[in-house]
Amino acid sequence: MENKVLKEQVEKLAALVSGEVEEILGELVLKVRAPHIIETLTGAKNFPNFPCDFLHDLCGLDLVDHLEVVYQLSSLRGPQRLRVKAIVERENPVIDSVTSLWQGANFLEREAFDMFGINFKGHPNLKRIYMWDDFEGYPLRKDYVTEPIEVRNIVRTRIEGE
Amino acid sequence: MDVALERQLREDETLMEKNMLVTNLDKLLNWARGHSFWPVTLGLACCAIEMMATGGPRYDISRFGWEVFRASPRQADVMIVAGTCTRKMAPLLRRIYDQMPEPKWVIAMGSCANAGGPFVDSYSMLAGVDKVVPVDVYIPGCPPRPESLLYGLLQLQYKVSNPAKVRLMKHGK
Amino acid sequence: MTIENTEELILNMGPQHPSMHGLFRMVVNLEGETVTKIEPKLGYLHRGMEKLAESRTYAQFIPYTDRLDYLASPHNNWAYVQTVEKLMGVEIPERAEYLRVIFGELARIASHQVCIASTALDMAGWSAWSYAFRDRERICDMYEMTAGSRLTVNIMRIGGIIEPPAEFWPALKSFLNDTPEMIEEYNGIFFGNEIAQGRLKSVGILSKELAENLSITGPVLRASGVNYDVRKAEPYSIYDRFDFNVPVRYGCDSYDRTIIRLDEIVESIKIIKQAVRDIPEGPVMAKVPKVIKPPVGEVYHRVENPKGELGFYIVSDGTTKPARVRIRPATFINLQMLPIVCLGWKIQDVVAIFATLDAVLGEVDK
Repeated sequence: MENKVLKEQVEKLAALVSGEVEEILGELVLKVRAPHIIETLTGAKNFPNFPCDFLHDLCGLDLVDHLEVVYQLSSLRGPQRLRVKAIVERENPVIDSVTSLWQGANFLEREAFDMFGINFKGHPNLKRIYMWDDFEGYPLRKDYVTEPIEVRNIVRTRIEGE
Repeated sequence: MDVALERQLREDETLMEKNMLVTNLDKLLNWARGHSFWPVTLGLACCAIEMMATGGPRYDISRFGWEVFRASPRQADVMIVAGTCTRKMAPLLRRIYDQMPEPKWVIAMGSCANAGGPFVDSYSMLAGVDKVVPVDVYIPGCPPRPESLLYGLLQLQYKVSNPAKVRLMKHGK
Repeated sequence: MTIENTEELILNMGPQHPSMHGLFRMVVNLEGETVTKIEPKLGYLHRGMEKLAESRTYAQFIPYTDRLDYLASPHNNWAYVQTVEKLMGVEIPERAEYLRVIFGELARIASHQVCIASTALDMAGWSAWSYAFRDRERICDMYEMTAGSRLTVNIMRIGGIIEPPAEFWPALKSFLNDTPEMIEEYNGIFFGNEIAQGRLKSVGILSKELAENLSITGPVLRASGVNYDVRKAEPYSIYDRFDFNVPVRYGCDSYDRTIIRLDEIVESIKIIKQAVRDIPEGPVMAKVPKVIKPPVGEVYHRVENPKGELGFYIVSDGTTKPARVRIRPATFINLQMLPIVCLGWKIQDVVAIFATLDAVLGEVDK
């Protein structure tokens, strides 16, 4: 019942931002293109009656021909859940940062940048979070080749201040 | 080191059993060092919890005189590398080792510190902490039980107290 | 009187630091003793689990989840196998569900004991630490009887769980009988201690609005006055059958963030007692194919870990290996409050605030 109302609202939003709605294993998935992401998430955050106002998770996803940024939304006041996927080009992965909507996206976006090389425009401090600063490549991309063990065993030089 | 020296050492030990103390300062120091390690608290990952449990009430590492866990490497002489050492951490681990005063020993605790463990084929892993620092005792397990850590420390105590014997054992004599 | 011409001091805390609970580093800017800026630096324990998952089969990845939040390893197993089961549409037997709840709640107790112990240790309270570790050993014994391992238990399988041996039940019963005394002791030695209260009370205020905006979950969120627990809000497994409360505190400070874990231990004991009473006989493994090959699809599932919400997002491409396993680590996201909340507090309060987050770096760095 609730799902139905939520679905109507998501479809209305999808028409606004030219996205697609699917239902995978009982969960609503809204697919949009990268430039519409702020508009979509602001819309989802302000749904009447069923606001999806809690950013649960944000992660990158590599689908070989393009990248995706996946947002898991829910709410602390209701059972509604929504998954928003933003399609990002592989060659030039740029998307708007959602740190203006949720401060909690800060570390998550840095992680997606570190692992997939997705550039979040407007992020206050977009640096690598897990790997060291002069690490090359984006490890979680499908075309990343792990270095052989001989190369990995060479100890990196310490950066002053560490 | 040769067999004659080994015989000499054995004779010394029989003398000690007769309550006669014929020693030199070096041996006394080695004996003292082996019975009062001051480990540095280098808890890297899961094994750190087992290291804490070893210091806890049930396993009680202070029975052996090694309970003085030091946070500062400058006050410690044993480094127990408890856990996974990644490539990002490796130079810092070396730095902590360099800051320890001589004489110093290293124990690699757990599979990750020994050889990379289950994560060995990951892009961010160093395959064993012996690529960075010289290791004296390897303790296998994921994570090793507290008894294993105590046994490893006892092995190190043997090594420290009897340097000549250990060197002979290394050459198969 | 004001002091003029003070210089800003940059202090590097960690990665090897007694109060950092692992390899966490932060660069702290100090004005005298007052914190003006904190920059957390992570990744010293980053082992690349998500990449490793792509080259392992579904069953092979279960032992890796143990090493995420190693203080509550059955819970991580549980979250992962439930996600895979959801993807495959497997129904698991009743007895297995009850056993999972028992082990999950035991893990919650063990994890909270370590949290209380390490918070006490950071305030230099050695005796409280040893009391909590003494009691935790009994839970480790129960793990050991069942799984053979004390810490990283690897107890659950896709479709079920290991059947504990006969001597597990008397051990569990005697542990449950001793719990009231145990809680009394923690109250007396740590929470009732004047020094501990002085160092924790009204330190590090995290307001409700800020907590929601920062996506904070778990006991930290509940200590800020939000009544939200996945076990109640979206009951997974069989949590809808048990009668328990969700402890909520409204102080928003470090003291509440610590003592709420003691409240949760009480609730966990209630759940275990009910589970032991109601557990049916029967098999503990469902019929699952030897080669696990979920259909094409994706699923996101979350559970209430002792430290917050642990989520798994698995994308399957129909082969025996997952195309992507995303782990939503609870404490990684909870850590974001640190640079905001610590501002204006003294350097010793930073240690207290960090301890109450109960960060486990295995989970933060993956």
